[in-house]
Amino acid sequence: MNSSKAALQVDLAKSRGGLDQSRLVVAWLMLLPLLLGLLIFAIYPSIYVLGLSFTKSTLGQPFKAYLGLRNYHWLAFGGDDIFVPSLLRAAIFSICVSLVELGLGLWLAVLLASMQRLSRLVRSILLLPLMTPPVLVGTAWKLLLAPGGGLVNGKLLSLGIVDAPISFLGTQPWALLSLMVADAWQWTPFVAILAYAALRQVPDDVVEAALLDGANATAIFWKIQLPMTAPLLLAIFMLRLIMAFKTFDLLYILTFGGPGASTDMAGFAVWRTALRNFDVGTAAAETVLFAAFVSLALLPLLWLHRRVERIAS
Amino acid sequence: MTILKLADDGRPGKQDDVRRRKAASPEAGSRRIAGPLITKRLLSWLGIVLYGGFFLLPIAFLISLTFKTRDEVLLGQFFTSKPVLENWWKAFEFINLAGFIGHSVVIASLSALLTVALATPATYAVARLQHGEFVGSLVLSSYIAPPVVALLPLFFLMRCLGLLNSFSGMILVDGLMNLPVAYWLLRGFLKKVPAALDEAAWVDGAGFFKTFLLITLPLLVPGLFATGLISLILAYNEFLFASLFAQDDRVRGLTVAISLFQGDRFVNFGQMAVASIAGIVPVYLIALVFQNRLIGGLTVGGVK
Repeated sequence: MNSSKAALQVDLAKSRGGLDQSRLVVAWLMLLPLLLGLLIFAIYPSIYVLGLSFTKSTLGQPFKAYLGLRNYHWLAFGGDDIFVPSLLRAAIFSICVSLVELGLGLWLAVLLASMQRLSRLVRSILLLPLMTPPVLVGTAWKLLLAPGGGLVNGKLLSLGIVDAPISFLGTQPWALLSLMVADAWQWTPFVAILAYAALRQVPDDVVEAALLDGANATAIFWKIQLPMTAPLLLAIFMLRLIMAFKTFDLLYILTFGGPGASTDMAGFAVWRTALRNFDVGTAAAETVLFAAFVSLALLPLLWLHRRVERIAS
Repeated sequence: MTILKLADDGRPGKQDDVRRRKAASPEAGSRRIAGPLITKRLLSWLGIVLYGGFFLLPIAFLISLTFKTRDEVLLGQFFTSKPVLENWWKAFEFINLAGFIGHSVVIASLSALLTVALATPATYAVARLQHGEFVGSLVLSSYIAPPVVALLPLFFLMRCLGLLNSFSGMILVDGLMNLPVAYWLLRGFLKKVPAALDEAAWVDGAGFFKTFLLITLPLLVPGLFATGLISLILAYNEFLFASLFAQDDRVRGLTVAISLFQGDRFVNFGQMAVASIAGIVPVYLIALVFQNRLIGGLTVGGVK
């Protein structure tokens, strides 16, 4: 009796083991396509770029000669005075636009939450900037800001605010500001949609209880909604920061790094080194520094996010 | 605090209960904040109008430009006294605008299919079969890395394989590019499909792969669709890779074509505006027809 029971259990365990094994096999088969994709698109490029960065390379002839750390040395201490400033500028730009977009987007989300009938229409409008190809966002703002024929200069002139058209994209600080405005135009709606969803996660009974206790809308926002959505808002901020670091198209169309190199940002600087100056080795070293810089910049935020999440929960 | 009626993102349960309760006694919350509410209302209306104006202005200005002659453009005003249509037929005649938009649409749609096909099984493996946890951080770090990292290595790889200036090359690049985003979104959607269904199927003896195909996948269709749409739009909007990998007129897409007209060939603002508007139309159509799915998709990945 007893022995047959034991045999049954062994049988069960065996079949369970077989199940676990087939589960493992199927899981890996299902992971394989994604892993292959990431191998081609993420892992191979990282290794390749790292290798390139130690060499003298051109587009026609990669890995021409081994240079050791000389590309890095040149960028950090040598004659190059474009890349490191462009790295810092990318950081400042990203932090500024992400903060502005978080503020404006959150405010818009609160406005949306107070509108009943209009919110659907407004949300349709909100999707439009978000969906517009960045190249066309650049084109639209370029036309708006053009010295001759642009709407902004046209209005400023006809209202008598300025005597001569302002070259928004050709002079500083206008050029950098214009980039920020165009970026905010495109991405504030994105933040607003996400922030709106975050606000809706605050349970209604909490808000209603506060209302019954006599709290007004402002108090509810600062004392209830904001603290309760803080982890999500921080996540949205980080997402925007990551995206802003990648800004390329807008810059390419609106200022092309100009005037001079005063709106150069790291991604664009890499592109120019590789595809205008054809110095692929240096461009690879710039890429490595850029990627390292972005990761380092995000570390404190990740830490903060974890802390806030722990406090909130 | 008003409770919103939102058709799309179907938060079940408590929200609906509260909404119904509110509907039954509408005066409960609203009377006590009626007084200062009027100025508040006005202020929030003003805010909404300002926002709406700001977000519509560039597009509206582009549209108004398409109806202006070269001379009238220079006045820098919004309205025109005598609108003309010649920019429209000239822009389509002088450049292969329809062709460029067509290329973009073909590349974007097929690459979106590729993205979803590659990402979906992996999402299932991690979330339901509980293997390959590391994929999450791999996906995250490849999303954080700036796309220029991949630019040069992919250029050399594609040159080796003869994929430069080809539709298959662009479909492959755009398809792989969106894998991280798609993985994230699909994970969010998969969380909404009850896991108990799979476990029941396994207990009944269905294989893991069969369960995925016959039980989970049909329930995941809305998520697949939203993810596909977002991937499609991202691929349609892509510029950096396209500018290097698709330089031939036979495969060139809209964003690269527009970028080339910036300086020389297309100084005519009116025609540039036509090209821009025509290029935006496909994505705006998608945005207007599928807006609930898009918003659902954006929020499922970003927030949940």
